[in-house]
Amino acid sequence: MESLIHAIELHGVRKCYGRTVALDHLDLAVRQGELFAFLGPNGAGKTTTIKLITGLLRPDQGDIHVCGHHIGYNGVAAKAKIAYVPDQPFLYEKLTGREFLYFVAELYAIDAPRRDAVLEELIAALAIDDFLDQMTESYSHGMKQKVVLAAALLHDPAVLVIDEPMVGLDPRTIRAVKDLFVAHARKGRTVFMSTHTLDMAEAVADRIGIIRRGQLIAVGTLAELRAKARREHSLEEIFLQLTEESDA
Amino acid sequence: MPDAVVKERTGSLLGLLFRVKARSLRNRVRQTINQGPLRVTATAALMLVIWVGLYFLFDAVFKQLRRTPLEATVAIPLVFNFFFVVMLCLLTFSNAIIAYGSLFEREESAYLLSSPLSPKDVVTLKYLESLVMASWSLVLLGVPLMLAMANMTNEPYFYVLFLAFFLSFIPIPGALGLLLAWAAARFFPRRLARTAAGVAGVVTAGLLLWGLHTLQFAGGDTQVWLRTFYARMSIIEAALLPNHWVATGIDHALHDHLSKSLIYLGVTAANGLFLSWLVVVLVSHWFDGALNRAATGRGSGRRPAAAASGGVAGWIFAYLPLPLRLVAAKDLRTFFRDPMQWSQLLILFALLGLYLTNMPTLRTQLGGRGGWSLVIPFLNLCTLSLILATFTCRFVFPLVSLEGQKFWMIGLLPMRRSHILHAKFAFAMTVTLAGAVTAMIIASIILELDSIWTFIHLVATIAICVALCGCAVGIGARVPMFQERKLARIANGLGGTINLLASLAVAALVLTAMGYATYRSRDTNVGDWPDAITLITCLVAVIIGVSGGMFAMRIGAAHFDRVEI
Repeated sequence: MESLIHAIELHGVRKCYGRTVALDHLDLAVRQGELFAFLGPNGAGKTTTIKLITGLLRPDQGDIHVCGHHIGYNGVAAKAKIAYVPDQPFLYEKLTGREFLYFVAELYAIDAPRRDAVLEELIAALAIDDFLDQMTESYSHGMKQKVVLAAALLHDPAVLVIDEPMVGLDPRTIRAVKDLFVAHARKGRTVFMSTHTLDMAEAVADRIGIIRRGQLIAVGTLAELRAKARREHSLEEIFLQLTEESDA
Repeated sequence: MPDAVVKERTGSLLGLLFRVKARSLRNRVRQTINQGPLRVTATAALMLVIWVGLYFLFDAVFKQLRRTPLEATVAIPLVFNFFFVVMLCLLTFSNAIIAYGSLFEREESAYLLSSPLSPKDVVTLKYLESLVMASWSLVLLGVPLMLAMANMTNEPYFYVLFLAFFLSFIPIPGALGLLLAWAAARFFPRRLARTAAGVAGVVTAGLLLWGLHTLQFAGGDTQVWLRTFYARMSIIEAALLPNHWVATGIDHALHDHLSKSLIYLGVTAANGLFLSWLVVVLVSHWFDGALNRAATGRGSGRRPAAAASGGVAGWIFAYLPLPLRLVAAKDLRTFFRDPMQWSQLLILFALLGLYLTNMPTLRTQLGGRGGWSLVIPFLNLCTLSLILATFTCRFVFPLVSLEGQKFWMIGLLPMRRSHILHAKFAFAMTVTLAGAVTAMIIASIILELDSIWTFIHLVATIAICVALCGCAVGIGARVPMFQERKLARIANGLGGTINLLASLAVAALVLTAMGYATYRSRDTNVGDWPDAITLITCLVAVIIGVSGGMFAMRIGAAHFDRVEI
């Protein structure tokens, strides 16, 4: 699907949890090669949006396409293009980190020589070599997060979807992860990340979307958001102003 | 970084999933053997003892039945029919619970579904997992049954045939369980707890009614009782029920009708496989909708907030000082808000209720012989002890370990840590005493027991509660698993095994002393005051129970006061 402009498209997506409206007619398009940061207060609908994009939830209304594939009707093809890192990283606790990565490689049909070449780079970048042969049940949250990030990047996904990527990571790894995300996007892949780490969004995101109570209240580059907020300040201040205005 | 080449995957990835599961299992087994060889040996030895015990039990039952060929002709197929119909119900529910948890609540499902696996692969994997997890014990316990049966036939093929019947039967409740799990997620996501409670209530009421209807009739004539019992049980021998195919097939094998037996095996296997295929295909097709409903259809879970020390829970523990009342009330609320916990207790007490409803028949058989009437209350005490031990080992023992995640808060409370154990003990005693004392009073009234023996049995019940709760809380604090969050894993760990053995040992000592007191009173008349030695024996039983529980609490408290987390 080289001719596609948008890697992720949401049209009029509405999602309710019982009587609570989590997303209210959300329209969003994320381009190929774009690093998109998705911001919002707690309970705004960020994780719901991510679960809808990855096909773990169904929209009550609206359509979602990933790399041109409708996530509802052609889910397996769409998911072959996606890598998803949830906020609570999942690993098989009785496998070692390396065994888990080999499993993921096989899941995405990556042959052994290529797998080893990619892994070598990821192991060095994320500094996971020391504990990769221990069972994952002994890992701290940050160690799990690193291995899950490596697993997500292993098959060079067209769309990388991450929920809170920096939780539990040390400063050196945060820097490495930023570099990996930027490099991934520069290769023409798409990175869609939900985060509360505004510094990171400000530093690496091509565009930023802000969601509040299930509605997208602002989307654009940092400059466009500054214009919208009528302030020449940091993303933190813009975020606070826009979400307050939305409340008002 | 080199670009990875991702080929288009076609076909099923089930093989890969099986390989990863096999590797996990291999790692788990290696780890268990390396970390606790003694524990593995002890578990294997205990299982062997249970196997051998079951073999001799089944062997004795079948030999007894064969002494009266006519009864054996009627009873053996009925025993099998009954066994497999009970298994059908139990395995269906057990598969449903496991399948629901693994498909709709575990992170693994979400992870697998976000990868390019088809829902059918995920559902098939989870179906087979639940099948193995729910049914392995049936196969394991079926082996001594098979050996005992084989003793009667002298046919070597019988072993293989019997095992084949087991394996062909298992997919039927497995598929029904999967369907039930899917239906619960699809149609009752908001009321899952209420639905589970309703099902547990209906099953309990059904068991009680069935017990009253089927068992409690026909005075003291055993032959009339048996004939009426057989007639009423004939409902489970309907030709369309899977238990009938298995029971009839085994019966044919017993009587050397190999070809007929193989036909029934074929019928069972064909139905099992077809049902599995059909249910897996249907559930896979509708899986997205059910997953979506399970994730989003639940209610807010809002409850009217009671003050931490108030409400019914606070009132129940009004006798405790405030800080302890807070902890005990919190434990009680947690217990009653988790259907998995209280529904199991309800089922245990339903079984006890079934037993109690049958007691008048036993009283007719034994009650007229003076002191022998004390045998039934003693058996009540034994039954009650086993039920209470199941509860304390499964639900009370993990309480301390579960606090590990919130220890930052509990550790900072302005009181000694060991006082937290007192609160746990108070919670456990309140729940166990409420059930046990009520059951013993009802049993004593039904049996028209003397007031002195009623009093003795009530005190012994309290002593057993102290022993079991003390062991569960004390050993739970001495050998905690603070990193673990799952009740079952904590209960099945090393500490749980120690607690189980210690609880059974203390209960056995108390019951041995009480059994001796009962034996000494065998020749006394109804209404006679027990002699001094009998009373002293009862007192010793109570002292053993109370001191056993208190000793475990002391050990636990000493360790808990200085433990680092």
